[in-house]
Amino acid sequence: MKFDMDYIAHNNNLTEANPYYKLFITIILLVVTLVLDNLYFDVFIFLVMSILILAVAKINYKSYLKFLSIPMAFLIITCLFLMFFFGKGEVIYETGIFGIVVRADSFHYAVYTFMRVLGCFPCLGFLALTTPIAKILHCLDTLKVPKILIEIALLMYNTIFIFLNEIDTMKKAQETRLGYHSYISSFKSLGALASTIFLRSLDKSETLQHSLDSRGYTGELPVYVPRKEK
Amino acid sequence: MLEVKDLKYSYNKDYQALKGVSLKIERGQMVALLGKNGAGKSTLFLNLNGIYEPDEGKVFIDGEELKYDKKSLLKFRQKVGIVFQNPDDQIFAPTVEEDVAFGPLNLGLSMEEVQDRVEEALERVGMSGFEKKAPHHLSGGQKKRVAIAGILAMKPEIMVLDEPTAGLDPQGVTDLSKLLNELNEEGITIVISTHEVDLVPNYADKVFVLVDGLLIGEGTPKEIFAKPAILEKANLKVPIVTELFQELEKDGFDMENDYPLTIEEAKDKFLKLLNKN
Repeated sequence: MKFDMDYIAHNNNLTEANPYYKLFITIILLVVTLVLDNLYFDVFIFLVMSILILAVAKINYKSYLKFLSIPMAFLIITCLFLMFFFGKGEVIYETGIFGIVVRADSFHYAVYTFMRVLGCFPCLGFLALTTPIAKILHCLDTLKVPKILIEIALLMYNTIFIFLNEIDTMKKAQETRLGYHSYISSFKSLGALASTIFLRSLDKSETLQHSLDSRGYTGELPVYVPRKEK
Repeated sequence: MLEVKDLKYSYNKDYQALKGVSLKIERGQMVALLGKNGAGKSTLFLNLNGIYEPDEGKVFIDGEELKYDKKSLLKFRQKVGIVFQNPDDQIFAPTVEEDVAFGPLNLGLSMEEVQDRVEEALERVGMSGFEKKAPHHLSGGQKKRVAIAGILAMKPEIMVLDEPTAGLDPQGVTDLSKLLNELNEEGITIVISTHEVDLVPNYADKVFVLVDGLLIGEGTPKEIFAKPAILEKANLKVPIVTELFQELEKDGFDMENDYPLTIEEAKDKFLKLLNKN
């Protein structure tokens, strides 16, 4: 199954819910979780938000796990580093390899960081998975967030999809010719993919600029307010 | 209406994409620009509304010379709308309606006027009901329609389409040709670049043939497709029905130098030949 966050955001039980509420819930819970910095509260928020996402918004649990998996991988790596290579306090565990030790304060940091992120992530996930980007940006605009930030976000969001599509197509083309058959060829193929995608994005950005100019782009994206539905 | 005089454009000092192109398109015409890949069609198009500034030569729209200051560019870009070959290059907004509204908003129209135009343009291309959809969830043909609506909403006098049928399925091609014909009848001058020779005689009043940055032929489809030398230089062929009649001629049928280009013409010709024998 392919994971398409944008599709999920457009097709779940909470898509049509008021985006301001969702935005405020997210921001308030994020702030509270960070300020309280309490392990139990972190777990509590994680559970509450997960239930909201899975039971109320009715998002497929596989998609949700996929959504969590990438940042979780980063989180675990970060926390392992925090645990083994930082801190100055008392040694509580010796690994016996190159004198790497776990210290009391680094252990504390690692656990708290882990739990804090664990609590905050579903909050963001709640917003990202249930609200189409157009609505979020529109909210931010009415909340007087600087226009330039919104424009950059919008163009980036658009470009990400073009980018992912290109990567997908190129990767399939490489796989068809057994580009990922062995470790060595995987590395080579990935390198080729990365450099080509860079050149292609330059190309694409130029074409996009042309097409925007063509429709009278003045350097500022105007905001369209749709007619109220009767 | 649209006139190009001795246009030269180069991307860098080694590669000149346009080597002096002159052409004239009258109001209300539907024009096809034929040429192989890399002939300079897209480059020519981007010169028509001032995206590229030519090294030499001039572009006139309604008898007025194209200038490259901000104010004139806005005016000319409203008059000449370009639909890009790949809709993904053109559609950037998160929803269909926002994308269609982009052009009109840049023209500084009132929100109400823009809303009217968005509604009208989407209706015109048969995409009403898709206003809130995300463009990347649409099919290729639908994206193309949205891209055209985005240009239509600016109410251009000339619409320039870069290979509009590329990548569409046969039904999509038929629908698109129909739409373009209707728009043309409503008074929009249309310029299309293509290599689909079968379709050209169905819609084009006039054909230009571009090869390696030079125009090597212009005329009605009848005139152009009767010149094998030009077609060969441009890597083109006659429409498939025409080919059939050329083959028949080899078998001794007298065509009287009149080769049908479309299915309609072919039908008449066939009946004529049958009655004669």
